Amino acid sequence: MLNLFAAAAAPKMAGFAITGELPFFAALAGLAMLSAVGVVAFNNAVRSALCLVLNFFVLAGIYFTLNAEMMGITQVVVYTGAIMVLFLFVIMLLNLSAPALLQDKNDPKTAVGMTLGMVMFTLVALQVLPGLMSKTEPGAVDGYGSPVNVGRALFTGFVIPFEAVSILLLIGIVGSILLAKRRF
Amino acid sequence: MSGVPLAAYLALGLFMFMTGVVGVVIRRSPIVIFMCIELMLNAVNLTFLAFARYQFSPMVAGNSFKEGQSAMAGQMMVIFVMAVAAAEVAVGLGIIMAIFRLRDNIDIDEMNLLKG
Amino acid sequence: MDNNAVWLIILLPVLGFLIQGLAGPSLQKRIGKKALGVLAVLPIAASFVLGLMLTQGLASQEHAEAVIVTGGSWINIMGLNIPFEWVVDPLSMTMVLIITGVGALIHLYSTAYMAEDKDFSRFFAYLNLFVAAMLVLVLGNNLPLLFIGWEGVGLCSYLLIGFWYTDTTNTKAANKAFIVNRVGDWSLMLGLFLIVVVISGANIPVEDNRYLSYDAMLPALTTALKANPAMATAIALLLFGGAAGKSAQFPLYVWLPDAMAGPTPVSALIHAATMVTSGVVLLNRMNIVFQLSPTASAIVCAVGAFTALFAAIIAFGQTDIKKVLAYSTVSQLGFMFIACGAGAYWAGMFHVTTHAFFKALLFLGAGAVIHAMSHEQDMRHYGKLAKYLPITFATMMIGTLAIAGVPGLSGYYSKEAILGSAIANSHAGQLSAISGWVGLGVAALTAMYMGRLAMLTFFGKEERWRKLPVADHHDHEDGHDDDHSHALTGDHKPKEVPVAMWLPLVVLALLSAGAGFILNQGKRFEHWLYPSGLSQLGELKHEVPNLEIYSYIAAGLGLFAGVLVYIGGLPAKEGLDETKWARWRRSAANQFGFDALLTNLFAEGGRDVAIGTSAFLEDQVIDGAVEGSASGTRNFGGWLQQIQTGAVRLYAMLMLLGGVGFVGYFLFVVNRGGK
Repeated sequence: MLNLFAAAAAPKMAGFAITGELPFFAALAGLAMLSAVGVVAFNNAVRSALCLVLNFFVLAGIYFTLNAEMMGITQVVVYTGAIMVLFLFVIMLLNLSAPALLQDKNDPKTAVGMTLGMVMFTLVALQVLPGLMSKTEPGAVDGYGSPVNVGRALFTGFVIPFEAVSILLLIGIVGSILLAKRRF
Repeated sequence: MSGVPLAAYLALGLFMFMTGVVGVVIRRSPIVIFMCIELMLNAVNLTFLAFARYQFSPMVAGNSFKEGQSAMAGQMMVIFVMAVAAAEVAVGLGIIMAIFRLRDNIDIDEMNLLKG
Repeated sequence: MDNNAVWLIILLPVLGFLIQGLAGPSLQKRIGKKALGVLAVLPIAASFVLGLMLTQGLASQEHAEAVIVTGGSWINIMGLNIPFEWVVDPLSMTMVLIITGVGALIHLYSTAYMAEDKDFSRFFAYLNLFVAAMLVLVLGNNLPLLFIGWEGVGLCSYLLIGFWYTDTTNTKAANKAFIVNRVGDWSLMLGLFLIVVVISGANIPVEDNRYLSYDAMLPALTTALKANPAMATAIALLLFGGAAGKSAQFPLYVWLPDAMAGPTPVSALIHAATMVTSGVVLLNRMNIVFQLSPTASAIVCAVGAFTALFAAIIAFGQTDIKKVLAYSTVSQLGFMFIACGAGAYWAGMFHVTTHAFFKALLFLGAGAVIHAMSHEQDMRHYGKLAKYLPITFATMMIGTLAIAGVPGLSGYYSKEAILGSAIANSHAGQLSAISGWVGLGVAALTAMYMGRLAMLTFFGKEERWRKLPVADHHDHEDGHDDDHSHALTGDHKPKEVPVAMWLPLVVLALLSAGAGFILNQGKRFEHWLYPSGLSQLGELKHEVPNLEIYSYIAAGLGLFAGVLVYIGGLPAKEGLDETKWARWRRSAANQFGFDALLTNLFAEGGRDVAIGTSAFLEDQVIDGAVEGSASGTRNFGGWLQQIQTGAVRLYAMLMLLGGVGFVGYFLFVVNRGGK
């Protein structure tokens, strides 16, 4: 997959200075794609979860290449550290490793789904990407992704969404506690 | 850092998103479906950040966004998406556990109480 | 005499109807039946007097001119004007005198005949209403008013035939009369419409847009039809269809014998003297159409002759005294149409007049006999009644002789006029002459069956009702209710009828005897009705060499034969046991199967069609559509239901599919393949 992407991308990038960032990004991107496919492909739920963990780590790295350091760290802490841990806990609690439980029968939905997915990918890619190939210079201010700036924005310009999200999280907490009670 | 076209990040994000979509349709375990949803959310995050970084805005003239503000806006979106995802996972997994307790089986094809 | 009295002539019977109908029962308690009866006769008598005065005024002129009395406007839309208007002319005044005169006598008679009936006032209400409707028919100056009267008399006929409505035989007879009349009415209406179409189609201006008023329409119609003779035949036949329905010509005669189920005064007034002659009145009014159409006239002649013959033969098979008279009426009406077909419309009216007298007399006399014989109508139970009912006997004999055409009495003159005109004129071609000779034969038959009636009733060797079982006197119930609960018993002693009943008989007998002679003097009647002759046909001849002699022979032969066969009373072959009858007689008693044919074809057939249509339309088309739409919706819903499997993956895939479609649409349709 990686080579495919590079091969597809390479002719279009004639005229660029191939610096070190591109291969680095290419490596990270390839890993991300592989692990994404792995999430879907593995029959075993634990393996899917672990692939997803890898994916999240790689994404954090990509965020770093984008100079969004705060986001990268948050990705690792929240997604990988909390959400995936929760997933793994639940998987093991439910003892879903037994692959026999979830054998996919020969379902037409599989083929149809994959076809549709590929079609959609092609459609959007064809539509969106060609126009954006030329943009290679980032326009953001340096240091836009630092915790200082993010924090400042969060507490000044975007304080209302911030408060809203905090209420949402409160609701989520209450909801999960309710769900966890044994009242059946 | 420069040299990586915006299109590359978008392509990656699109690929991850499509993979997540296909996974939702294909897989039969609700937990894996959930994970694919997370995958989709992450793809969206990536897209947001890519645009934040590259300051791409098609409305050059009369653009109400000041230069640089869209960078912040992008990151704010990502924070909120993460928060929502977290809350969603907590509640969703709680629901899955409740269903499992009830039926002792989580094959999504057999949860068809909505059948008309 | 102011011609506006014509309003009174019509309104007085209406007033009588209202009084009898609304206040009758309560008045009856207060002033008694006799006074109520007088109250019923008075309006008719008053109308008669007024009619006399108007006729006097009309006759005093040299050439009687028609006078139109106009009331308000009735229909006046879109270039068609139909006002309320009455015409005072010889034809209408003749009919007014007959209707109110004979009508008043019959009202008087009914006060005694219906004296035991509990629905006394209802009877007179209907009877007065009938007279009012008939007056509208003859006095109206336009065809729609005639039609109102036409329908009105049809309604009253229905009400009166079914007067004793608790017996379904009567109600069925009433229905039959109304429905068969309706067929005729349909034909008449089409004729009316066609007249308006023809006149307006020929773009002939009509005074004041009154397309259907006689004075304005007839000249215009003449012009229009001269250019278009086929239309003349069409209109004539349609009008004759209506006349045939009302005047009981073949094939629409079937209601008249059944109508005898009504009380006898009703049969006398409606089904002998007045309503059934409406057809002849119509033909007289619209004679111009028939003058312009020899074909239609020939058909009228032929139908009239056939009906006369047909009915006369059937009369031989009847044992009910009223039925014999009913068929006799049909037969005589045939005569009137023979006259109209030949072009001698005045002769038809002449026969209407004389027929009103002697037929009413005969019916009232029959009613007297029936009344005296405890409502027994079968002639086989009569015999030697001359001894018990002298006045009835004398008057009925005069009537019989009159109808038989004995010279000197009125029937002879009118029949002469008819037959003479039919044979001597060629307006209707050969058929007119043939009809005339057939008519002569029917005259002989008439004399014979009337002779049969007279002999069986009044003469004979024995009083045949003595053979009936003697009554058990304790099963007399209240009996004064519906008279049919009385039965003739072997020890019955007939008594002559009260004054109120025999007085009209005497008056009518005098009229039957003398009216013909008086009216025939010097072509009086013809000049009275048609002072300037017929516009198209001119003066008609009605002199046929030796016709007088033939008539004498016919009348004489008929009476002689009748007397000869029945002088000894009831012959063995016509006794109570009908299987011993001659086959032709039994067939005649059944109207040669014609009535049964009509019933099967139209009544039963109609019912079958209705049931079949209902089964098809109701069950298959309508129910099919309704239930079909319901089940169609259900099936469609069921088919759609298959999408709701409850499977989340399917929903997700469908969403994906939708998304692909949406994006594809945007890419390839909206943006034309990308920016």
